Amino acid sequence: MNVNAGKIEAMLEKVQKASRYTGGEMNTAIKPWEEAELHFAFCFPDTYEVAMSHLGMKILYALINDQPWSTCERVCMPWIDMKALMEQEQVPLFSLESRTPLCDFEVVGFTLQYEMSYSNILAMLKLGGIPLLREERKRDDPIVVAGGPCAFNPEPLADFIDAFMIGDGEEVMLELNQVIRDWKRSGAPRIECLKKLAGLRGVYVPALYDVTYHEDGTIASFTPNCPEAPEKVLKCIVTDLDSAFYPRDIPVPYTEIIHDRIMLEVMRGCTRGCRFCQAGMIYRPVRERGLKRLVELADSLEKSTGYEEISLSSLSTGDYTCLPELIRQLMKDLEKERVHISLPSLRLDSVLKESLSETQKERKTSLTFAPEAGTQRLRDVINKGVTEDDLMEKTRDAFENGWSSVKLYFMIGLPTETTADLDGIADLARKVVAAYFSVPKGQRAKGLRVTCSASSFVPKPFTPFQWEPQDTQAMLMEKQAHLRQEMAQIKGVNFNYHESGLSFLEACFSRGDRRLGKVLLRAFEKGCYLDGWSEVFSFEKWMDAFRETGVDPDFYAHRRRGRDEILPWDFVDSGISKEFLWREKEKAEQGLVTRDCRQGCNGCGLHRFKGVCKFCG
Amino acid sequence: MMAVFEKCERLRHIGHLDIQRAMQRALRRSGLPVSYSKGYNPHILVTFASALSTGASGRRELMDVTLEEPVTPEAFLEAMNRALPPDMQLQSARVLEDRHPALMAMVAAADYTIRVMDGAAAEAFRTCLPGFLRQETIMALRKTKSGEKACDIRPLLHELTMEGDSLHAVMTLTEQESCKPDMLVKALSAHCGVEVPRVMVVRNALLGRNEMGALVPLETL
Repeated sequence: MNVNAGKIEAMLEKVQKASRYTGGEMNTAIKPWEEAELHFAFCFPDTYEVAMSHLGMKILYALINDQPWSTCERVCMPWIDMKALMEQEQVPLFSLESRTPLCDFEVVGFTLQYEMSYSNILAMLKLGGIPLLREERKRDDPIVVAGGPCAFNPEPLADFIDAFMIGDGEEVMLELNQVIRDWKRSGAPRIECLKKLAGLRGVYVPALYDVTYHEDGTIASFTPNCPEAPEKVLKCIVTDLDSAFYPRDIPVPYTEIIHDRIMLEVMRGCTRGCRFCQAGMIYRPVRERGLKRLVELADSLEKSTGYEEISLSSLSTGDYTCLPELIRQLMKDLEKERVHISLPSLRLDSVLKESLSETQKERKTSLTFAPEAGTQRLRDVINKGVTEDDLMEKTRDAFENGWSSVKLYFMIGLPTETTADLDGIADLARKVVAAYFSVPKGQRAKGLRVTCSASSFVPKPFTPFQWEPQDTQAMLMEKQAHLRQEMAQIKGVNFNYHESGLSFLEACFSRGDRRLGKVLLRAFEKGCYLDGWSEVFSFEKWMDAFRETGVDPDFYAHRRRGRDEILPWDFVDSGISKEFLWREKEKAEQGLVTRDCRQGCNGCGLHRFKGVCKFCG
Repeated sequence: MMAVFEKCERLRHIGHLDIQRAMQRALRRSGLPVSYSKGYNPHILVTFASALSTGASGRRELMDVTLEEPVTPEAFLEAMNRALPPDMQLQSARVLEDRHPALMAMVAAADYTIRVMDGAAAEAFRTCLPGFLRQETIMALRKTKSGEKACDIRPLLHELTMEGDSLHAVMTLTEQESCKPDMLVKALSAHCGVEVPRVMVVRNALLGRNEMGALVPLETL
């Protein structure tokens, strides 16, 4: 083991939850360091419990380790106490597997799941002994890459990341590693590696682009500065999920994590077209895994992990074409092993009813519904194709079948929202409570619990609302206060909402440009990290960072963009056309709904990729 | 089936509940004909002789697994070691008769190696050990659910020697009374007038009493 082994052991005695840092979990015994030519550090910019619940990491981890020439080790953001000890003892951030310092890897890859984890990226680079700014990195420093949903607007991180991978990671991951391996051998300067990477599908190298601005702060031009860099970066798309790589064994943590179960990805993408939902746009088109393949994967994952629970995951599992057959088949196959099957993102209008009687053989946890908005008018605006009747029917069913705990998710601050829409949220909660009491006492389960969550709307790139301003914090707080008052009058309802400062920063970074790099750096220098955790989050420090760098956050969060404005992410080709998004925005304003792609093509632009979307006209 | 397993140093911070869950999952992976409890949330019938505290590693920890049909110890070992991570491998296994008393009730003492990570403290321990052991009573604080309770650990110390920087201790471990390594180290430090040093605890074996009343490794009983 390495030189820091003794120090690390001593540190582990002093921290809470040392099991976050011990490694050695089942299915993590990888090849010895010397046996691989390329070492990839998969960095998750959040704590171990969050990291180990993430499916994408498990896929890429297994994929890289499957190659005889490459190895992948995991690195997570240390908690406050561990970070302090590392700094004090001068122990660099290390991988869970071999406890190798981050700076000794050839590739350091971050997954971007959430804007408010960006400060953790800086913290991890710093702790790992890697220069924060890409321009300051020397030939022997690792190539720092990043992917994941937030990579669809990579610009706020342009100062820190050498190359971004946009789109489905399993497509380009190995090619990227090969380029870096070959470059390492060649002895060529760092820029040569970056230029080669820019030639790969879905790879964006910020050093190879120049941006100029108008006097009003909007972008005047965004252009490649060398012939190797494409003008548009087209996202990677796995065309066939059945032949795509999927792990057969995944790490099984000792300590409890957030999603402590097998995650079986039944499909990627969603056909619903909710207008606020970035995932629903950037993961297009819908691709389903075949029943046979899923049943076979479930079996091998169950055998290799021993997990007692399996979840069918996707953006909208209820839409999976052969869901009832799949559930029946899995129940049959896994019954002997007593595996519980859970369906996490069930939607109101899915085949819930049909599968209820099968799932309930197991325990009854709470049911989750996401009407998102309180009135039909506003649900039409956001194209959430769910009606009040749907919701009431499904909750009544649930209560009749023994459920007593329901979670309702809403958003506030949606475009066109009025007080009537807020009151609609309280109305729905009231009706759900009434539905429970309409079931005779002997037939319903005891202990009604209705949890209403209201998050604040954050406009995202590649959605029809990408041009919209976010509500100011004052407006959001007023709405929260109004709802809190309304909800307090309903018995059995528990109401919670998100910190508006966090939503405001999310809005800045989700649609930010590369000028936010200096804000992020300053905030980090002021001590911002683990921003997603209320124990650490400091809104004041962030505001100071904006002030001190002379960047106006309102420009990003509260400004309505014009149709012709060059948006910071326009150079990314997500497959969806800007015309389609604008059309959807206009329809939203008129309260017109757009049908589910399964009922007919809506012309989002994906038809350019013939045959990939099976619903394309 | 009684099996002896190891909890390697790497896993010393993994708590007992997590080790239990990891073992349950390994049993599920093994494909062995394990028995499940009846009821709403069925779990595998496996019991552990003694919980090993967080921070300690164990060389010969014991568990008892109920099986639906006979399996040879060799087959059990082979299947389990394939299903267990490298730091939690089984050392041996033996078929227990149904009438065998519960392992938990048989534990009488445990054998520890306690490495003192501070040279000066180790030196002081070496010097003071004979005097420490000559005392008729040694008061130590035992953590209980309701706080700390003073108790005399002298009668609970069956063996205490020092080799190099490590203490070797055999101490009582029963449900009624026990002396844990941290209690010993605190008492010894107080006696020597040194600050409580950092230690690395290894539980070498769980011990039970044979017909003659002597302490022997539990797995041999």
